[in-house]
Amino acid sequence: MANGWKIARGRGNAQLPLAIVAILAIVLVLAGRAQSTLFDRARTSFSDWTKPALTWISAPLDGAANWFHNFGHIFVVYQDNLKLKQENARLRQWQNAALVLNERLKRYQLLLNAVPDPSLSSVTARVIGRASRPFLDTMILDAGKSNGIKPGEAVVDDRGMIGRIFLAGNRTSWVLLLTDLNSRIPVMIQPGHIQAIMAGDNTSTPTLDTLAQRAAPKPGDQIVTSGDGGLIPPGLPVGVVISDGSGGLRVALLADSASSEDVRVVDFKIPPEQPPAPSPDDLPASAAGLKPEAPPAPQTLTPLAPPPVLAAPPLPNATKPSALATKPANALATKPATQTPPNQTPPSDDDDTANQ
Amino acid sequence: MNALNDRLGWSLPSTLAAAIPFICAIIGAIIGNMPVSLVGGVLPSPLFALMPIYFWSLVRPDLMPPWAVFTIGVVQDLLGGGAPGVWTVAFVATYALIDRERDSFAGLAGFGAVLGFAGAMLTAGLVAYLIVAFYYFRFPPLSPIVIEIVVSVVFYIPAAYILNFIHQKLVGPLRSDF
Repeated sequence: MANGWKIARGRGNAQLPLAIVAILAIVLVLAGRAQSTLFDRARTSFSDWTKPALTWISAPLDGAANWFHNFGHIFVVYQDNLKLKQENARLRQWQNAALVLNERLKRYQLLLNAVPDPSLSSVTARVIGRASRPFLDTMILDAGKSNGIKPGEAVVDDRGMIGRIFLAGNRTSWVLLLTDLNSRIPVMIQPGHIQAIMAGDNTSTPTLDTLAQRAAPKPGDQIVTSGDGGLIPPGLPVGVVISDGSGGLRVALLADSASSEDVRVVDFKIPPEQPPAPSPDDLPASAAGLKPEAPPAPQTLTPLAPPPVLAAPPLPNATKPSALATKPANALATKPATQTPPNQTPPSDDDDTANQ
Repeated sequence: MNALNDRLGWSLPSTLAAAIPFICAIIGAIIGNMPVSLVGGVLPSPLFALMPIYFWSLVRPDLMPPWAVFTIGVVQDLLGGGAPGVWTVAFVATYALIDRERDSFAGLAGFGAVLGFAGAMLTAGLVAYLIVAFYYFRFPPLSPIVIEIVVSVVFYIPAAYILNFIHQKLVGPLRSDF
């Protein structure tokens, strides 16, 4: 192998250029730490550009990988079939129970006038690439901003949550898998409603840090997303608690990112909380023990309306401040129409989006 | 053609030959970061971009200048999707080590050359690991980078044959001063 290698033993006289590129490389790390937008934009542009090639290449390779992956299953098809039939019968019973309970839940919500859960919309996307590198676990989807995908949205397959969108290009998006070093999501351990943080560490089983000191989750407990922070919808199935053998807890994920082909990107919007309508008791004058002043009528807030104080003529007798002080109160008493609070119509979703 | 080359002061084949190591490394970065896997992501893809850097840094250092190593590192970082600059610094640090210890590395042949690449890969992996630890203020698990090093070293054995073939058949004949 080395016979043909003609070794050039002289130094390349590269000491100064080497020092310069070393400094540039360190600057690149520091700049990337401070602001990685440029790199992210370049990555999404590249994946957008290579999307047709990726789709073309990944289809046969994924097929071959699935074939290799499932090759061993051929020999246990009969046993698997029997097992699945039994499981199917059990699941039908559970389905009936779930439907009955769901109806009952709806009735209770109606009786209690409970706020319904926010509706979820989703975009189905195909996995066109996946990469498992020492410091990054990711997959690339064939849908991007043009399909309504935004960074931060949860990605699920038919078994459970896989990860979150962390880069969205126009036609492709990158998913940060739950196993990635940078992944940290708030979860809830059932039963017990124990709040915890699930953190990836580039192994197949993320770690689990419970927030409550007295909480004692056990292996076998179910883990779902808690929805804290408002980015990820609550209740998405994530995995099962397992012991790591040294007293710590880890999570065996339900979803298998290596074999997922089609995934859903869940768009979760919490409806904006509506503040209660202000009453006269809430006004600062009431809090100070004074008689409340009516809120200004909507038409007086228009910029075309003349400011009443500035337009008023000078008082002939400046020694009567009490008359000034009582005038608004009288006006309040004689003009009940002006007590009408401003329009309480809740803002529409569009308005809220614009405000955001 | 030769008269034209003499008049211009450079020759196209020679320039092409000088660019081949750089192009090989860029192709290596693209292949290594292609987001497809035959093993379902169980094994990481080898660090193909470092192989031409190591090979030509020893064989013909004039064809693998520091700016080329820097650019290859940037491309590797861009395509890799990780923290920016990690592999750039790792490649430059490895190049600096090879440049400093060229006499030791150059004396290696056969299995020794593979061990030499293992040393270079270890340096790159260690530097990348430390930068990532600095980046996220915590030490990531060691096993993924160890697997990456092992996979890359194993893949270097066939890759060295290919690089040697390219060097003998393309780089050498195209360069008149070889």
